[in-house]
Amino acid sequence: MPTEAAALLGEFEYLLITAAAALNDNAYGVSIREEIESTTRRRCSIGALYTTIDRLEKKGLVTTWMSDATPERGGRSKRMVRVTPKGVQAAKAFFDAMMRASRRAPWVTA
Amino acid sequence: MSYLTRLAKHMVAQLLERDELEAVMGDLTEMRATPWRSSIEILGLIVRRQAAHWSHGFPWVAAFGLALPGTLLLQGTSYSISCRYQGLTGAGICNGWSPAGSGQLAQLPCLAVLLVLTSWSLGFLTSFISRRTLWASAILVAAPCLYCQAKFHEAAVSRLCLLLFLPLMAAGACQGLRGTRIRPATAIALTAVSTVLTLICNRM
Repeated sequence: MPTEAAALLGEFEYLLITAAAALNDNAYGVSIREEIESTTRRRCSIGALYTTIDRLEKKGLVTTWMSDATPERGGRSKRMVRVTPKGVQAAKAFFDAMMRASRRAPWVTA
Repeated sequence: MSYLTRLAKHMVAQLLERDELEAVMGDLTEMRATPWRSSIEILGLIVRRQAAHWSHGFPWVAAFGLALPGTLLLQGTSYSISCRYQGLTGAGICNGWSPAGSGQLAQLPCLAVLLVLTSWSLGFLTSFISRRTLWASAILVAAPCLYCQAKFHEAAVSRLCLLLFLPLMAAGACQGLRGTRIRPATAIALTAVSTVLTLICNRM
């Protein structure tokens, strides 16, 4: 069995890493949430978002830091997110696994 | 700002990290979320955070291994001290107790010091090992106290005598919340004194 299977991301973890990678320097709570909601057309709660960010940070797949306070946020800081090289690797492994798993699926071959 | 809003904010601040609360409140402001929606989102985050805390062993040890049995034990010790004191001062004799003797006179300070040490240590340890779930430990302290207060019938002493340990336990919990560290030498000294006092009290 390939070793990548043990470290395979969860579905929401993959969505979050993909959104953060796409947003690049503008990846923080609200923007990641909007990106996930627009691509999946499903509601994303703040609870799910922040607990998943924490989990990914503990695994070393993303890093976070507090930005400066901005007026449109009532003078509060943003928690910025950046995907680490290990995170990129994990997302790629997930994507490859999904591609391999889907190769002979009827909705792909049809 | 009403008292209830201040209280709710204080409780939320206790349950979430400062930076996380700052980021979440900022996100909700930027999204122009209604107060109702904001409350639901914050509550959802707190529930998820608590679920994550309870997946580890420390909150269970703090609540069911320390707070609950410790409270039952310390209520008994508090009662014992009160009855001895009443017997010595001649104010009354508790049910099942014999009139004060010389043994009780020596036991009283020993038990009092033991109560102080144990109550403070238990409060400190409970909050130190599980700060974010202290609310659950507090419930498990309050529940047996309220139960015993309701069931307590003793003419010689007040029912409040069962709660002698509570201020000391609360003081210990406050120290634990502040993240105060105890030096190994102090911890060993506390344990040794408690053990010796327990042995002395049992032999008298």
